[in-house]
Amino acid sequence: MQVDLTVNGTEVSEEIEPRHLLVHFLRDQLGLTGTHWGCDTSNCGTCVVLIDGEPVKSCTHLAAMASGHDITTVEGLEVDGELDPVQEGFMQCHGLQCGFCTPGMMLTARALLNNNPNPSEGVIREAISGQICRCTGYSTIVRSIQWAANHESAVTIGASQ
Amino acid sequence: MTTTEPTTTEPTTTEPAPPAVGSDGAASDEDRPVGFGNLRRKEDPRLIRGMGNFVDDVQLPGMLHLAILRSPMAHARIVSIDKSAAEAHPKVVAVITGEDLAAQGLAWMPTLSNDVQAVLATDKVRFQHQEVAFVVAEDRYSARDALELIEVDYEWIDPVVDVRTAMDAGTPVIRDDLEGKTDNHIFDWETGDEAATKAVFDNADVVVKEEIVYPRVHPAPMETCGAVADVERVSGQLTLWCTTQAPHAHRTVYALVAGLPEHKIRVIAPDIGGGFGNKVPIYPGYVCAIVASLVIGKPVKWMEDRTENLVSTGFARDYIMEAEIAATSDGTIQAIRTNVIADHGAFNGVAAPTKYPAGFFGVFTGSYDLEAAFCKMSAIYTNKAPGGVAYACSFRITEAVYLVERIVDCLAYELEMDPAELRLKNFIQPDQFPYETRTGWVYDSGNYEPAMRKAMDMAGYEELRREQADKR
Repeated sequence: MQVDLTVNGTEVSEEIEPRHLLVHFLRDQLGLTGTHWGCDTSNCGTCVVLIDGEPVKSCTHLAAMASGHDITTVEGLEVDGELDPVQEGFMQCHGLQCGFCTPGMMLTARALLNNNPNPSEGVIREAISGQICRCTGYSTIVRSIQWAANHESAVTIGASQ
Repeated sequence: MTTTEPTTTEPTTTEPAPPAVGSDGAASDEDRPVGFGNLRRKEDPRLIRGMGNFVDDVQLPGMLHLAILRSPMAHARIVSIDKSAAEAHPKVVAVITGEDLAAQGLAWMPTLSNDVQAVLATDKVRFQHQEVAFVVAEDRYSARDALELIEVDYEWIDPVVDVRTAMDAGTPVIRDDLEGKTDNHIFDWETGDEAATKAVFDNADVVVKEEIVYPRVHPAPMETCGAVADVERVSGQLTLWCTTQAPHAHRTVYALVAGLPEHKIRVIAPDIGGGFGNKVPIYPGYVCAIVASLVIGKPVKWMEDRTENLVSTGFARDYIMEAEIAATSDGTIQAIRTNVIADHGAFNGVAAPTKYPAGFFGVFTGSYDLEAAFCKMSAIYTNKAPGGVAYACSFRITEAVYLVERIVDCLAYELEMDPAELRLKNFIQPDQFPYETRTGWVYDSGNYEPAMRKAMDMAGYEELRREQADKR
């Protein structure tokens, strides 16, 4: 079957099997390997992408269901050489160790800040409760997101159209 | 380690304020010693852009995908395997069983602990989800599909899962592949002075005994284990991208298994999505990928899923420790004695040097000045996944620390003494360093009391005790 969707601002039309998961479509077919495959059961959140601005676990989302929608992956956070404040925050505040959970963590943070530009620590922790970091660097992840909130530019990425 | 009171300003730069790094990346405060301030990590600019290079990100031209069929049973004889339907799948390139590997002398591989482990089971399966066969196909979905087309007949054997009873008479022998093996025993190990320790215990005012169980835990890194093997058909050069924390040890084992000289093996450990010791051992999947590439002449990727990672890869702990502590009635600790049963799973694949079969467990005397100590340990096979030491803080130190601190707590309870007070009373004193423990380890330096008091202050120990008393 054919899917037509927008990925990081580019229109994509591809032939897929109906059973293909979005994470494998993005990684294997489009070569966007920044989206990771961690648990294949919606538990760990490393596969999170934004679909029309909402964080979605792409390991349990069929690629077919994404047809007609607007997808943002970690590769789409940087625009014209300008890092998203969330990306900058993760670098500034040591928000990553091994870096495997980071793409999903940052996209979830981006969706949070789009809806709530000034979240409290409790709200941030609630927002990332579906994201696991096995290096257990949660304190610095929270600080990274706070840094982004404090340095938010006018540009918001992946917001609902 | 000596602890001195810090005289300079403490490095508490935990605020997400702009770091002590200039825009050019150089330290802006040159007066500060090394280790102060923030240093940007070199890998972050790639990783925050989704430009990491993890094993599953490796894509090579013509690359095939490998999936592993695993046993649903923990202990069973393999009666027969029918792979014809899987081989007939249009996208399947090869289906390999243990029998196929045995024909090439590749069915078994050495472990890091002087044992052997099945790459694919030949005679029987010895833990649930043990590797039984593998499929190589054109894509990862087809490889998984074909696993369901393989028919395996198993003959049930009672699994041995409780290490306490694994040595009982009549218990099935797990490792009947080892010549002359009639029980599930792996090794005994002891440290300390048994007679001297017994003498102290026989004359002690107080003896407290406790069974301390430290169950099996799993490191569960975010990235599961996997590999891309690429054997160059003409030169015989093997390049392996592998989720490994120990590429050099891996290369040696692959050379032994595959019969390739080490200089023809290049092991690449790219970005690793967490390891915690889980990615030290050599797993059958890595060897399967190498064998597949060797046989087929194309690059082969194997990437396990989360369930496979949790059920079949290296664990930590799994020690049952009978601990005893001897003390005077006023709370002077005299001796500690322990008998440990160590559950090593179906193959002894612990990543510990053979000189230290129990890692650094000998530090179970802790920070206390003892008259005597003794440990006896037995390592036992069970029908569980092999593996062994995981977590950076381990090599069995975690188990040893848990043992000593738990039994000291039990003694405090028995003596109705404050556990902090009991510890402060029994620490090795600063003038005793360098101090040789009763198990032969030399502590070069230390000053435990100020460190302990500082920790108590930070935790608000007295306040917590008052609050506890109020609420009772």
